[in-house]
Amino acid sequence: MNDSSNIYWFLLPLVVAISLVYTASRYESWPVIWARSARLCLWSLAALIGTSAILLLVNTQS
Amino acid sequence: MTDTSIPLREPAKAAFLAWLIPGLGHFYQGRTGKGWLYATCILGLYAVGFYLGSGKNVYWRWVSPFNSDKFMFHYVGQFFVGLPALPALIQATIEHFRPGANLLGGFMAEPPANVLNALLLRGKTYDIGLIYTTVAGLLNVLAIYDAYEGPAYGRGDETDPEAASEDQALAAQAGGATR
Repeated sequence: MNDSSNIYWFLLPLVVAISLVYTASRYESWPVIWARSARLCLWSLAALIGTSAILLLVNTQS
Repeated sequence: MTDTSIPLREPAKAAFLAWLIPGLGHFYQGRTGKGWLYATCILGLYAVGFYLGSGKNVYWRWVSPFNSDKFMFHYVGQFFVGLPALPALIQATIEHFRPGANLLGGFMAEPPANVLNALLLRGKTYDIGLIYTTVAGLLNVLAIYDAYEGPAYGRGDETDPEAASEDQALAAQAGGATR
């Protein structure tokens, strides 16, 4: 981890905002919006972290 | 979901207001909760992105869309944030007809190449700001659609009974109360 790694934290608000707005545009019920956006947020983060992990594994550069 | 009577007051006007200021169309329709959500998420993302780009990442230039080297693809997304991104369009139009006019101290005007290069050399924040502001605009497309047409699902008219029952279970699990 170095200073340039900190830019990955900028992904978090982006994913949260996308999840909330996307789900709010699909549903009108607040409990559904909260539950589904939380699920979408976690899925998106898992996909991003998983992809990064795979890229790190196959990385041939130092 | 049983809320089939979502008040979509004057959808076209609400959609225009939703474009003008994210969330405004929903406030107009009395859907204040959604108005706050859209305003916070979209305007927040746009404001942070604009700050990260030192106010130099939202600009437009009048060139052919086929001129892919000079065409400002990101502004096509940013445009949908509405009023906060509109000065860029006005600046570009003034610059097109009166080159060198430098209105409002060049606010949201196309920055000179040396300024852009300096910002790009400073690190990734300029690019992140560009992504934030563009995504904010694209998200507002969803909000505009919601103001005009209502939510895509969850109005009691779902065709997928499995998804509908899942939503009902989620609503019941979370208390079932709507704000």
